Amino acid sequence: MIAAIARKEFLDAWRDGRFRIAAVVTLALLGVALLLAWQQVTRARAERAAAAALERENWLNQGEKNSHSAGHYGVYVFTPLAPLAVFDRGLEPFVGTTVFLEAHRQNQAAFLPAQDATAMRRFGELTAATGLQLLVPLLIVLLTFGALAGERERGTLRQVLSLGVRPRDLVLGKALGLGAALAALLLPVALFGAVALSKLPGGDVSGGWVRLAWLGGAYALYLAAILAGCLAVSAVASTARAALATLLVCWAANAVIAPRLASDFAQRLLPTPKLVDFETAMNKAVQEGLDGHNPRNDRLQAFAQETLKKNGKTRIEELPFNFNGLVMLESERMAGEVFDHHFGKLWDRLEAQDRTVTWTGLVAPLLGLRSASMALAGTDFTQHRHFSVAAEQHRRNFVRVLNEEMMNNTAGGHHGGTAGRALWEKLPAFRYDPPPPAHALRAATPGLVVLCLWAVGAWTALLLVAPRLKPN
Amino acid sequence: MTSHLFRLELRLLVRERAAWVLLGLFAAALGYGLWNGGRVAGRQREAAAALAQDTEAFQAQVRQHLGQQAIDPKAIAGRGTMAVLPPAPLPLLATGQSDLSPGHETVVLWRFAASGDTRSELENPSHLLAGRFDLAFVLVWLFPLFLLALVYDLMAGDRESGTLRLALAQGVTPWRWMILRALARALPMLMLAALGTLAAGFFGGSGGTGLRLMLALAVVLAYGLFWVALAIAVNAVARSAASAATSLGAAWVLLVLVAPTLLNVTVETLYPTPSRPELVAAGRKASGEAEKRGGELLNSFYRDHPELAPPGQQADFAAQHLTVQTEVGRAVEPVRQKFDEQLARQQTAVGQWRFLSPAIAMHEALTDLAGTGYWRHRAFRDQVTAFKKSVADFYTPKIHKRETITMADYEKMPRFVFREEPSGAWMNRASAGLGGMLAFAFVLAGLAMVNLRPARLGSMTA
Repeated sequence: MIAAIARKEFLDAWRDGRFRIAAVVTLALLGVALLLAWQQVTRARAERAAAAALERENWLNQGEKNSHSAGHYGVYVFTPLAPLAVFDRGLEPFVGTTVFLEAHRQNQAAFLPAQDATAMRRFGELTAATGLQLLVPLLIVLLTFGALAGERERGTLRQVLSLGVRPRDLVLGKALGLGAALAALLLPVALFGAVALSKLPGGDVSGGWVRLAWLGGAYALYLAAILAGCLAVSAVASTARAALATLLVCWAANAVIAPRLASDFAQRLLPTPKLVDFETAMNKAVQEGLDGHNPRNDRLQAFAQETLKKNGKTRIEELPFNFNGLVMLESERMAGEVFDHHFGKLWDRLEAQDRTVTWTGLVAPLLGLRSASMALAGTDFTQHRHFSVAAEQHRRNFVRVLNEEMMNNTAGGHHGGTAGRALWEKLPAFRYDPPPPAHALRAATPGLVVLCLWAVGAWTALLLVAPRLKPN
Repeated sequence: MTSHLFRLELRLLVRERAAWVLLGLFAAALGYGLWNGGRVAGRQREAAAALAQDTEAFQAQVRQHLGQQAIDPKAIAGRGTMAVLPPAPLPLLATGQSDLSPGHETVVLWRFAASGDTRSELENPSHLLAGRFDLAFVLVWLFPLFLLALVYDLMAGDRESGTLRLALAQGVTPWRWMILRALARALPMLMLAALGTLAAGFFGGSGGTGLRLMLALAVVLAYGLFWVALAIAVNAVARSAASAATSLGAAWVLLVLVAPTLLNVTVETLYPTPSRPELVAAGRKASGEAEKRGGELLNSFYRDHPELAPPGQQADFAAQHLTVQTEVGRAVEPVRQKFDEQLARQQTAVGQWRFLSPAIAMHEALTDLAGTGYWRHRAFRDQVTAFKKSVADFYTPKIHKRETITMADYEKMPRFVFREEPSGAWMNRASAGLGGMLAFAFVLAGLAMVNLRPARLGSMTA
């Protein structure tokens, strides 16, 4: 019985002109989005690789200079672009592309792509992900609002039920049929997209297939939850018009209002510190120590005494190495602790805000999906943080090597002698390994949990209202 | 007859509970949007005031110092002069790009080419992605939704239930009847939107923004009228209320949700932004090359400007560094300009294609009138560029000639003062958007009139 109903619904859906038009428009938009994103992401990746190569040349050809000057000359590194950004750009336009690594300071990534764009970007981005997140649910609304309410209005529901069809079978049949119509539309696209995405340069390195499989699962959960929810509304609504109105309101609340409200809510609950306050606190901690009671000069004095004692000398000039180099090493170490603490706190705060938004997904499923999708595509904040930490690690290594050179190169005066290309070559180019899929999966877990809850909740609701289907 | 029908429709509306709920929700959204926009504007005002205060304090310090002795120009030029963009004229209207575009820049003589951090505030990138719940959001996205919920069924429902014949028996033309109905039902929502817009000026506007506010009001009403006209046009042909609602919903999705993102992606594909990473790396390359030729550059500079060469002295480090940096600036400037040019091209395309969707025209007009959009930030950037030149013109000769700055120079020291765009500029842009929306509204209303001519109507009232 269920199969027969499902087949009928499937055919009905495909014969419906409105559905066909909406489906063609949606598919066309998905295709355009993927194609253009492909072009943009490939171009951006090539540009960043070229810039990194040029920057390496700059570093190697900086000429003969003092090693500490080289530390101030510094190195620029560029944020990587995850291959799956073709599917979901995520936060990529809103995080900096360029990090300046220099002595003494930990800098944030600067130059957001969105700063070099028009205000149109603030309407949201047309990507395959947003198409699936916003437009396909509308397609589902269109497909389902009349499925039960419409039959009730026309009186056909009474007829069908009088034939002895069990209400639950009818509802399940409809759900399966409409779900199959949707799947017939989306599955080929998904498969084609997956094969295409896995062919991206760099797509296979970071567990592309694992990510794609989980992405598929997340979107399937989301759409299944919406399908069941819509049918449940259609089952209880008195008229098709009422069902449509309710579903459109829910759609707008989920797709348009919820993201902004939830984001504001998270900001209010866990405010982001002001830049001025953040920098003041960090500079103060560099000068006075993390506890605020241990001025930098005192600590360095104590360090000098200790060094002299260890080497059995009484004057700094008697030390067999350049003491200034050692001081540089020590103060970098001390500053590093401060940076770890303050940036760690800031980033924890931003991640906590994002998690809050994800959990508000219990009210609006889009928020859960958005977070899971970005995490799996590798375009969420945790992955930007992973990169920032790696860049900072690179900065510390490179400053350490330069300071060690200064310490052992006793030829010159206060800052030691000069160094050349041989030393510059000793410092390896920055190579970033993106986090494994396990990291993405961990970041996506809250969103996936939210989606599972929604899917289970919506299908339970549908099964609960089904037996009580009113014929009119 | 006309006023009678209008009053009747209003009275019917007042009795609808759903209408009250919708109006209440819309009012709440407007209030929240204003409040939220006000918080953002407040933070930005504070930041700008703190920066302006810093600048003043430094000026006072310099003045006091000059009272005692002359100052080396390198000391002042090296610390830099702050250029601050004052708060927007109507910030509550739209947050716009103000949370992304930096509102200040420190102009340092020898760092023209260097590219530092461009952020002026810490922001969670997801917050930037989600966008803000400000007045512009309520007016561009939600206003049409609320409006359509009230006016989606102007005739289709009556046609469905057969009451259309009855209604038309009152001796009113169908077109006129529908216009009256539409205006009566839309009136409270339009009034609320107008009140919200005026409140943005009342609570958050600086002085002399009356004209901007009036234009914003006109734009908001025109946008509302466009959606009402669309509802009329759809109702003239729709056979049932549900199909009218579906068509209007689809129109909203296409115009508000899809068209702007499609335009964005098209514009970015047609005029791709140059690569910032490449600019950074290229700038460093130019800088390295200029540094290697430092002495040579300075000598050729003195050949061109013998009046600046220090008489019979060795050129000092500062002069050489300055020449090198000027050269770097000259080398990088064309690459940097490409960013501005390409963004200008993108913006021109958006300006031309904004008529693709009234939502784009409305958003552009609101951010423009608020002073938080592309144009005011561009005026700021252009003025900062000009300011850099006046800083260079003032300090460079002094450094080369090894002159000092004395009290006599104090008044002549370059200071940044932002000049707002001439009002004609934003008036032209906003009026074009306004005209476009009204034209669309008239075309749609005209279409409805054609479709409602008695000859075509006969079959539809049956």
